[in-house]
Amino acid sequence: MAAFTYAPAIVLLPFVSFLVALFAGDRMPKGGALAGITATGGSLLLSIWVALTVAGGDVHNEILYQWTTSVETLQLNFGLLLDPLSALMLLIVCLISFLVHIFSLGYMNDEGETGLPRYYAGLGLFTASMLGFVVANNLLMAFMFFELVGLCSYLLIGFWFRDDGPPSAAKKAFLVTRFGDYFFLIGVVGIFATFGTGLFAPITQGGEVVAESFPMLAEHAIVDGETAGIAMLETVGMGPQQWFTVLGLLVLGGVVGKSAQFPLHTWLPDAMEGPTPVSALIHAATMVAAGVYLVARMYGFYALSPTALAVIALIGGFTALFAATMGLVKQEIKQVLAYSTISQYGYMMLALGSGGYIAAVFHLTTHAVFKALLFLGAGSVIIAMHHNENMWDMGGLKDRMPVTYWTFLAGSLALAGIVPFAGFWSKDEVLYEALIHGFGTEGGLGTAYLIAYAMGLLAVFFTGFYTFRMVYLTFHGDARSDTARDPEPVRWNVKGPLTVLGILATTIGFINMAPVAKLTGAEIDFLHKWLNGPENGGWPAALNTGLHHYEGLLHDVSHVVKGYPLGETPTLLASAGVSLGLALAGVLVARTLYAGADPVEHTDKLGGLKTLLMHNYYQDEYQVWLATGVTYPLARVMNKFDQGVVDGVVNGISSVSLFGGSRIRRIQSGVVSNYATLLTLGLVLLLAAFGIMGGWF
Amino acid sequence: MIPAETYLLLSAAIFCIGLFGILTRRNALIFLMSVELMLNAANINLVAFSLQHGNLTGQVFSLFTMALAAAEVAIGIGIILVLYRNFTDVDVTKATTMRW
Repeated sequence: MAAFTYAPAIVLLPFVSFLVALFAGDRMPKGGALAGITATGGSLLLSIWVALTVAGGDVHNEILYQWTTSVETLQLNFGLLLDPLSALMLLIVCLISFLVHIFSLGYMNDEGETGLPRYYAGLGLFTASMLGFVVANNLLMAFMFFELVGLCSYLLIGFWFRDDGPPSAAKKAFLVTRFGDYFFLIGVVGIFATFGTGLFAPITQGGEVVAESFPMLAEHAIVDGETAGIAMLETVGMGPQQWFTVLGLLVLGGVVGKSAQFPLHTWLPDAMEGPTPVSALIHAATMVAAGVYLVARMYGFYALSPTALAVIALIGGFTALFAATMGLVKQEIKQVLAYSTISQYGYMMLALGSGGYIAAVFHLTTHAVFKALLFLGAGSVIIAMHHNENMWDMGGLKDRMPVTYWTFLAGSLALAGIVPFAGFWSKDEVLYEALIHGFGTEGGLGTAYLIAYAMGLLAVFFTGFYTFRMVYLTFHGDARSDTARDPEPVRWNVKGPLTVLGILATTIGFINMAPVAKLTGAEIDFLHKWLNGPENGGWPAALNTGLHHYEGLLHDVSHVVKGYPLGETPTLLASAGVSLGLALAGVLVARTLYAGADPVEHTDKLGGLKTLLMHNYYQDEYQVWLATGVTYPLARVMNKFDQGVVDGVVNGISSVSLFGGSRIRRIQSGVVSNYATLLTLGLVLLLAAFGIMGGWF
Repeated sequence: MIPAETYLLLSAAIFCIGLFGILTRRNALIFLMSVELMLNAANINLVAFSLQHGNLTGQVFSLFTMALAAAEVAIGIGIILVLYRNFTDVDVTKATTMRW
């Protein structure tokens, strides 16, 4: 297929723009922005072409370059895997990145920033590494690009490196995600050691499997007891299922770090120190999305382990609620959005853990659109407010910047989950999946799902509240500062991306209106069909990455079963009604408290809880304490041990030989006669010894 | 025929004379002479065993030893010459600089 021949260019184009911006950016108009826009635009067009080809039923899984040839048992490759999931993700990443590049013209160029080539080079490399991660067909390549994404986030968050905050935030983002990636790396090594391959999907030639994938090998081992090709099955006394769970959880460490899940979420709010378009890119399409995408990519592996599924669901549900509560009291517009991002990615994890593969991918898609919209909207507000981000200095911006207001409102309605905006459909599906699987599944897994569901449901209310608190404080009421009374106007390059995303945020939920499809029987759950593929044969049979396959695994291996406490249709309606009702309740509470002409802060009524929330549950404090109070003393003790005991033994041996040498060298008098005497004496003694032992005397 | 023990006794006597010279004298030239004595004691041994066993191996060996001894004397006298230049003496107990 011709589209697949050109597919590597999707990754290479932004990489070229990175090189161009880096080496020639200062000699180009707009500081390299045009190269970035052209490259991401080109990637977007190619992605559309690839998506159309994939829609035609063709998929692609090919090794492009093998960079270890000496070892026969272990092959390390660069390869492409283009199936509906990666094609969809390519579209999202390219679209968001393209719009962010255009928006940057307004946010960076028009604001007279310096160092633009560095900025656009960073954006280009960021996009390229995320695209490389998306198309990766094996775990090691995915890991390499995963790390590149982390590096780029470091470079971009710390863009304003002359201030105090950004370099520190950049270091924090890098170190915290690296901490998670450490486990990921061990997991990658473990998977390679166990299966001898990191392929996500089998490579087939003419219907014959020529290279098996590790999820399939794991599946054969558990389902059929077929263990050919697995090197480490009984590892440290664990059976296959336990060992695969351990491997899955190790990889999950990287996911938790990158997707900012509890307890490694602390880097994300600080990452707001970076330029706002970068925040949009990080939160919507790259970096944070990478973690969730990775779980979806190797879902065939996670579906084999009920324990891993329960852990994912619980982490997700807890993070959704935990982050939403912190967003309630924040005063800066980007901080509210940051906590909402953590919370929304919690929903995706909840969906993945509770067997809602479609729901997770759906929420990933809609969230990418509306969160990019909200961040770019916030960026527009920040331009207008001369980089004052405090919402208490805003107010009344509704009439002065209508395009921003209406698009931001669309994004907020989507985030809050109000029908018919995008977020409603996806969030409702996430919760619905968790609910029915929670009721249907027996044992601890079902209980875990129900607990996670309850937390996710509660977070819906908080989401509605903090979203509209933000909207009311920013856009409604009277202007509370001089800049808010006379905001700086924004140009087409800000309004254009906002309009595109605003329309998408309103409509993109229609790609998978599962409840409507079920009620009316209309065939409109397009995303479901897209990821499911044909029921028999076609690409799902070749790659085993189709929904049908995953559902089979969830049902047969992990025993995730659907259950309808009220019957199928009433449960569907009740779930949608409850989550919509809670979201509306949150919006209404926000309206009651903050919609007036001159709103006042109500957070003091929370008392001690407010302090707790403002300090983010003292997460930073306890992590700093862990570092300075536990790790540092431990390192000191280790250092003492090293310096004292290990070095002491080595030094002791050397000083013994030094002392001995200084004494024994005295026999070297330099007088030849003495040497001769000693030689003679030695000879005599030797002879005497031989004589005694040989019995001569 | 003279028995082999006689030669061995002669050889041992000459060796001990050479050894005594090395252990007691200080003049480097005497040292050299004593070493020659010891080498020749060894030669006598070799020739004696050659005679005893009735083959020529020992005699050939002693020829080699003589050639070796000639070379050794050349080097030895060279060393003594340098010794004299450096220490204006040929007393071996004075040249004690080559130690720790």
